[in-house]
Amino acid sequence: MRNIDLIVFCAAAFLAVGVASAQPALPKGYAGSEICQTCHEDIYNNFVKSPHWAIDSNGVHGFQGRSCEGCHGPAQTHTESGSAEDIRNPGKISSGAADKVCLECHLNQQTHIGRLTSSHMKDAVSCTACHKVHSAEPGGLVDRRPASINKQCGSCHNNVWSQFQKPYHHRLPEEAMSCVDCHNPHGSVRPSMTQTFAANDAGCLKCHGDKRGPFTFEHAALRYEGCGACHETHGSANPRMLTRQEVRYVCLECHANLPFPPSQTTKASIGVVPPSFHDLLSARYRNCTVCHQKIHGSYVDRNLLR
Amino acid sequence: MRAFCILAAAIPLLAQEPAKDQAPPAPATASAPAPDASSPVPATEQRFTGYIDLGYRWQTGVGGSLDTYRSIVNLGAGPKLLGADFSIVNPRHHLYDRIDVRAQSWGDEPSESLHVEVRKLKLYDFNADYRDFAYFNYLPSYADPLLSSNGLILNEQSFDTRRRIGTFSLDLLPQSWVVPYVAYEHDGGSGTGATAFVSDGDEFPVPYTMFDRMELYRGGVRIERKKFHVTLEAGGNTFGNNQQLYQSTGQTNYGNVLTPYLGQDLHLNNLIGSYGITGSSVYGKGLVTANLTSDIDVYGQFLYSEPKTDTSYSQYNTGNFVLQNQLLFYTGQQFLLAAAATNPHVTGSAGVEIRPFRRVRIVEDWMTDRLHVAGASNSSNLLTGHTPATQINAGLLSSIYTNYNQNEVHVFFELSKKFTLHGGYRYVWGNANNVVLPPSGLPTPDKGDLRRNVALGGITFRASQKLLLTGDVEGAASGGVYFRTSLYDYQKVRAQARYQAMDSLSFTVDFNLLNNQNPLPGVKYDFLAHQESLSMMWSPRFAKNWTIQGSYSRSSVYSNISYLEPEFLTAGQSLYRDDAHSATALITGNLKHYFGLAPTVTAGGSLFISSGSRPTEYFQPFAKFMLPVYKHVEWFGEWTYYGYGEAFYLYEGFRSHLVTTGVRLTR
Repeated sequence: MRNIDLIVFCAAAFLAVGVASAQPALPKGYAGSEICQTCHEDIYNNFVKSPHWAIDSNGVHGFQGRSCEGCHGPAQTHTESGSAEDIRNPGKISSGAADKVCLECHLNQQTHIGRLTSSHMKDAVSCTACHKVHSAEPGGLVDRRPASINKQCGSCHNNVWSQFQKPYHHRLPEEAMSCVDCHNPHGSVRPSMTQTFAANDAGCLKCHGDKRGPFTFEHAALRYEGCGACHETHGSANPRMLTRQEVRYVCLECHANLPFPPSQTTKASIGVVPPSFHDLLSARYRNCTVCHQKIHGSYVDRNLLR
Repeated sequence: MRAFCILAAAIPLLAQEPAKDQAPPAPATASAPAPDASSPVPATEQRFTGYIDLGYRWQTGVGGSLDTYRSIVNLGAGPKLLGADFSIVNPRHHLYDRIDVRAQSWGDEPSESLHVEVRKLKLYDFNADYRDFAYFNYLPSYADPLLSSNGLILNEQSFDTRRRIGTFSLDLLPQSWVVPYVAYEHDGGSGTGATAFVSDGDEFPVPYTMFDRMELYRGGVRIERKKFHVTLEAGGNTFGNNQQLYQSTGQTNYGNVLTPYLGQDLHLNNLIGSYGITGSSVYGKGLVTANLTSDIDVYGQFLYSEPKTDTSYSQYNTGNFVLQNQLLFYTGQQFLLAAAATNPHVTGSAGVEIRPFRRVRIVEDWMTDRLHVAGASNSSNLLTGHTPATQINAGLLSSIYTNYNQNEVHVFFELSKKFTLHGGYRYVWGNANNVVLPPSGLPTPDKGDLRRNVALGGITFRASQKLLLTGDVEGAASGGVYFRTSLYDYQKVRAQARYQAMDSLSFTVDFNLLNNQNPLPGVKYDFLAHQESLSMMWSPRFAKNWTIQGSYSRSSVYSNISYLEPEFLTAGQSLYRDDAHSATALITGNLKHYFGLAPTVTAGGSLFISSGSRPTEYFQPFAKFMLPVYKHVEWFGEWTYYGYGEAFYLYEGFRSHLVTTGVRLTR
């Protein structure tokens, strides 16, 4: 019996040595994730449920067994001193430096294709401003509930959120939509970081597909300047979220160029004056879209009448 | 047995890291089971967590305009699935690891949504998103040409439709370096409405039905390596859009012109108008990012799409109509049209980030967007009711294109850890043209050039851990724009201060300004918009269970531009003003010490008050309580008031109280 115990003990010891040697040795200066847990247990317990925990066992990024230090840097000095000065905190360094930490792994991903055009990048809004790196939320590092997204965006874009309090608005306060339905916070080829649809069309067309066309007869304003040429896209006090209180002003402000332009007016020339039978004293002609009902473009009529 | 016990006891120890001299031992590892590193779902996690809200809503009835209420709010009474948000985890990890479900506002609601996400680590990630929107719009004053003379008659641009949007995507092998994915999207709308059937000399409000649908299929692959990434995607869609205008026989519709035209009444007796539009599209895109060196990152993307449509339109109408340019009266019309359009659209962009010094970053990007729509139509117009019948055939070609280009360079300089400056320059150029052949009436100058020079600057200053200041300015001078109201010589300013006064109290202050001037003769556009906002969040220490959030915003828009009255080409002035105040507030309290119960109460809401060209008031106060009544059951009640008023269109005002109660089932 004692011999069996001895054999088993030797086998266990052999296995222990083998397994221990299979664990990657920590580079100099690193402490390992489990050491971090000693003092930061709450964060650690949350972190093990987060998507980032995968790098603790995943060899792709080279942070096996030291996932905390993947972002916070070598922590051995910090574990000895206990001082916050001896550890990198991406939440408290400059946004450029914080982004560099995240982009160490995330730069070459589809999400960041528009990073260099993003106003968030230019305005020094770092990744950690929106992403909770230790988060164990179901959707990942950012809460994907529309209400949570809107609250998060609105905490900085307070002025935009106030526009949604106007009577005619996209349904964000009702939590039917979120900011990221229309905007890509990581950047986009389109103005105002708007989402794209079917490669390079405006993201508006995902929900307003009937406005996509191509129409046989296009309304140039829609193609050249987008929906924002006539609509306040967040919200407006004007019906249909128009930029002006009456339809005719929306139209006439552009449709006021004489048909034979001097060279000077070619600098802002698209949109000719309507023919003279449009008597604005008559109520019939004050609501342009009564007749020009296919105002976004027509499949049938060059004057957008049907 | 003892041998097995020794072996079993040794294995957890073997799995530990070798102890390091300087490190204290981890206290939890030996006693508590380590989380499963292969899964983000710990084995101890509950199988089902989340909540489901079921309830019933009462409405007091709408005072004022029900049509306006439905156009803006559109919430009704009845039983509802108000919300659900739950997760199901699978401890065995067979087929799936986790299912997350979110649902919102089901039960004849104007915005219904459902989101389902099913994941299995490293195998697949499936997302389904479904939304059902009610689009209702029937504002009495909108697009009613008879409003000023006859009062409220009919909104000639109204609709009552539903739009259903579904998106389904499947990513395979997530977190690996090659991720294939496929997706399917559906967007469909259907409903009824009112529009105008337009003929020469009169237009007739008529009802219509509509149905459109779009199916999009896409698939691709993402290749992600440490030094580069490539995404290739291809997709395509099919599209259909049908609309029918009709007026039944036996009715006489006199339209908007009630006075005789050259002694004859114009009217519509019968109409069948039918649009049949079908279309398809293909697209492809390629995205690349790479680190050329440790200090140089590059990216590029190429996007191409080419939607096409085919149109078949037929129209049969009887009544009494006139062709004004020939003074020709007719009683019957058959109009048939076939048309097609195509829209090749190419977008490309490229950029580089260079870090020549530790504190300096240079970012340059270039973008081009080239869009061309070409259309052609053939129509046959047969006018009957006179002798001989008139047949008018027409063939039209249309073309619209726009080329947009942009080049921008930006330099970021970190003066210190607290202070970052950036500045740059953007040049925008392009051209556009819009033509229909053969021309009709006077030749039109529908072409333009775009030339814009933009200077950019900004600052980020973290004065302390509690105070962050950011600001951006943008100033531009243009040598050509497309429209009279386009951005021409403009300045944009944005500034923000965020101050964490205490751990429990924070403030954010914003200022935004846009000033746009177009001094060209015949334009004289003057536009100024600015907005100031203040928001705060306070969790007072003396009342730890309370949180107060609030925001206030004041905005002002001033726009002044001349236009030409079409009839006599006399100068008119379009003057628009909008001075608005809006505020939101939310107070949440947890009344743990009252009556042995622990209700949570929330109160707040929003208000909007504006003056100027369309003075408007809109109030949405609400109050809510939630009371745990059983282990996994909470009872809640909510009151909401909607009040809307306009100074110029008094008859569009409305007010309504909504009371909702229900139960929240939690786990």
